[in-house]
Amino acid sequence: MNGLWARICGTFSRWRRREPRVPLARILKCFRSILARNSEILDLMATMGKALSGDYVFDSHFVHSSCQRLIDLTQSLIHDLNILSGQKYVDLYASLEGIRRRLDAILAGQPSIGDIPYTLFYEDCNRDWIDEVGGKNANLGEVRNVLALPTPDGFVITTRAYHEFMASAGLSDFLTQQLNPWETQDTQALEQRLRDLQRRIEASSIPEKLAREIYHRIETLGRKYRRETLFFAVRSSASGEDTEHSFAGLHRSLLNVPETEVLQAYRQVVASLFTLQAWRYRRDKGFGEHEAAMAVGCQLMVDAVVSGVLYTVDPTAPPHSDALTVSATWGLGPPVVEGNRKVDRFRVSRDPPHALLQMHVVPKTASLISQRDGGTQWVDVSEVDQSRSCLNSQQLNLLASTGLLLERYFKRPQDIEWAFDTSGQLIILQTRPLQINLSDSDICRISDITASAPVLWSGRGDVVQRGIAVGKAFVVQSDEDLKRVPADAIVVARESSPRLAALFRHVRGVITDVGSPLGHMATVAREFRVPTVVNTEIATQLIHTGDPLTLDATQNVLYRGYIKELSYHELTYEEVFEETYEYRLLRRLLRLITPLHLVDPKGTDFTPAGCRTLHDIVRFVHERAVAELVGMNLASFHTSGCQIRLLEIPVPLDLRVIDADGGTVASPDARTLRLQDVTSIPMRAFLAGVVESNLWERTPVAMDFKSFLASMSRTFDTHRVPLEEVGLNLAVVSSNYMNINLRIGYHFNIIDAYVDDRIDDNYIYFRFIGGVTDLTRRSRRARLIGEILDRTGFRVEIRGDLVVGRMKKRPRSTMEHNLGMLGALVAYTRQLDVQMISDEEVVRHVERFMELFRSLWPRPQAAEPQGGSHGQAT
Amino acid sequence: MDKQPKMRVLILDDEPIVCKRMKPSFEKAGYEVETFTDSTLALERIREQDFDVVITDLKMEKIDGMRFLSEVKKRTPTTEVIVITGFATMETAKESFQKGVFDFVAKPFKMSEILDAVRRVEEKRRAARL
Repeated sequence: MNGLWARICGTFSRWRRREPRVPLARILKCFRSILARNSEILDLMATMGKALSGDYVFDSHFVHSSCQRLIDLTQSLIHDLNILSGQKYVDLYASLEGIRRRLDAILAGQPSIGDIPYTLFYEDCNRDWIDEVGGKNANLGEVRNVLALPTPDGFVITTRAYHEFMASAGLSDFLTQQLNPWETQDTQALEQRLRDLQRRIEASSIPEKLAREIYHRIETLGRKYRRETLFFAVRSSASGEDTEHSFAGLHRSLLNVPETEVLQAYRQVVASLFTLQAWRYRRDKGFGEHEAAMAVGCQLMVDAVVSGVLYTVDPTAPPHSDALTVSATWGLGPPVVEGNRKVDRFRVSRDPPHALLQMHVVPKTASLISQRDGGTQWVDVSEVDQSRSCLNSQQLNLLASTGLLLERYFKRPQDIEWAFDTSGQLIILQTRPLQINLSDSDICRISDITASAPVLWSGRGDVVQRGIAVGKAFVVQSDEDLKRVPADAIVVARESSPRLAALFRHVRGVITDVGSPLGHMATVAREFRVPTVVNTEIATQLIHTGDPLTLDATQNVLYRGYIKELSYHELTYEEVFEETYEYRLLRRLLRLITPLHLVDPKGTDFTPAGCRTLHDIVRFVHERAVAELVGMNLASFHTSGCQIRLLEIPVPLDLRVIDADGGTVASPDARTLRLQDVTSIPMRAFLAGVVESNLWERTPVAMDFKSFLASMSRTFDTHRVPLEEVGLNLAVVSSNYMNINLRIGYHFNIIDAYVDDRIDDNYIYFRFIGGVTDLTRRSRRARLIGEILDRTGFRVEIRGDLVVGRMKKRPRSTMEHNLGMLGALVAYTRQLDVQMISDEEVVRHVERFMELFRSLWPRPQAAEPQGGSHGQAT
Repeated sequence: MDKQPKMRVLILDDEPIVCKRMKPSFEKAGYEVETFTDSTLALERIREQDFDVVITDLKMEKIDGMRFLSEVKKRTPTTEVIVITGFATMETAKESFQKGVFDFVAKPFKMSEILDAVRRVEEKRRAARL
């Protein structure tokens, strides 16, 4: 009883607080403006996301102006919500400000200092941190965390730590005052100064907070590996190292350093930044001295049985010689890297199964190994091992396939340091681009070769990830086929699907008939950088398993046959798009823009403070805006001009309607609306679909009455049922306009439409997201809805379980027909994700729905063109 | 095989990323490409060499794209100019077309869009020769 009283009081005070301030017309204007901006923001986010595919040429102006536009729009969105709600959500401004500040910092090229730690475990390391962890560590982070290949465990001491160390030792000033300007002519004096600087670095103490953090990392690793003393390889990873500039052999790396000596080793590695050779190299490569900074990797020592170096392309032969080379010896790797001892050499075919082409085995009398207490030592190799090859064919095969995986990912031939440990596992110690230059004649040849190559198609579909793939086609027709896809195949499938994502690590390319450039699969394709094209419509008809193909997803051309020259051209000539500043900038920004964390409106984090990205804010605002309007109905009081009424329809859909302007003909006193009272053209058409199509009754979901109520929750007395239990179903209508927001359980559906006799203004916007089941089932339903929309002439975008359908500028009859279809679709699909247990179900339901709908509701006379709609309904 | 001389394309955009992205694609498609990020250098170049196609940004430091394209058209009216810009407005588009621009492409654009535009130039020339 008390609860009810409190609710009545609450409702009353809420009404009193808000009601008199803003006229309904203004509120509806805000609401429409929220909806319009909501769509614009989502479109802009999608455009920015697509730019990452590599199919678009964009510049930093685009990145900057898009961010600015997004912030402006979001700001207005918050403003409108606050007008609509009587300033209930002013905290959203603070959430936006927090995100805006971080976006600005990224745009200005200065990640806010709080974001950069002194140290970072390798599991948190990736190329987004390249400036902080150096190129070498960033590459290793990608190998470990994206490609999931074994690398040594450990942590990175970042460039922030370096700057802190140099400043605390008073050496930053020394650098600027004593060593600049660069153009010191007197080599001897410069060398002297550099030596002096190195000595001072090695003698300086490390700031306590930094030292403490390093020891903390070591302790954590000690606990993880349950070892008393850990031994580390302490490796240089300077800014720019192992990128297009190798800095090979210029900086120091120390092997088998006991944990107690890590700090000293750190100082030694830092000091090696200032050898005369390193100094000159930087000058020759055009690095500013202020850019010089040393990050250091502390990696647990690998107990190496055999170590070596792999070049994925033989640098001594023409680039298309089709061979990769391996050098190897027993024990640790330095003898191979330093090149001062004879080691075994192998040439292996780049093509699977990677046949051994050439082998040169030398006598190996000594090997370098880790000493018990730290450091390394030379030991004699047993007589048996001296003359035998230190790698067998299985190991060579694994090296070759791993090397090519790295090459495909980094889009450059790779120079890889590796080791096999005592358990026989292949461990990647470092990987960096191997510079191979194509001659001008090679470049000229490319256009001649492609000009005469048989083209299967050109410019078809949407590029999801650019790049070149050369390989045999494998057409996937069933779930069973997924298990049989050979590594190095180009996968061809009817539709893009999260289930294909599991293949991306090993396949060379992916082509689908239908699919979205923004879906889950697209994200994975970009993560693994696998050339992928979707929406080609005819791939599975034209291509058969075993067909040799070359997919140029950069120009978007598919050739029959192998054109290896194209991959070499890409590997050696084109700028690696994913490594460009603009790409990295956009990717960093998008992390604060597109992820959606606020999926559950009932969740505890569904608050302004819980908004971590712009998408979160947009979602929050929309949800709250609808709730506010519906809330006014609960308060219901017959305020001037405020006509919010429950619609009486013969299906259990609890829908309230606000008549903004001439959308209904009910008497002013009526508290409910009858179907015949609705005069809004789009709303009438939609309701006809919901009611007359009869699909509500035919819905294929078997449900008991209780769960039916729980999901649909037709409220018999809205005043007694708390708002959160009734669902937020609201329609705003006028004579030619309707906006319907349906929230049924976790599903969220918006239909916004304008229908008139003037064709130019007509549009339908349909948006659907959410569900209670797992992502795969929800994605299947998204595909089902997407397919139906596509067949009925909508322009469709699917991202995960979000479906957006758009249609514009069609005659009134077509718009009405399609709104009816949407009504029927809403009725049909409301609980359908529960049934989406297989892909076959998707096809079955699409066919069933289309058949039922066609039989109940034939197309209007002035029918639209048949079939797909891409490009028509723009 | 068709051994006609390659079409010469000049690309001018003050953001290096745009040139870097376009050059390899155009070369792969069989065009002779020169790229410039500095409009004065590009202007010098068009004074010593005729190009079949000039692709230029509009908003740049030094010489503005609109002036650059006027210079190009004045020197060699047969050169087709394609404008690429992130500041697309109806006015700029109109002004560009008044100056005889062949096509107007708003950034960001798909590589295939710009390649198609150049191919259309090629077709137009072929048709004119017949």
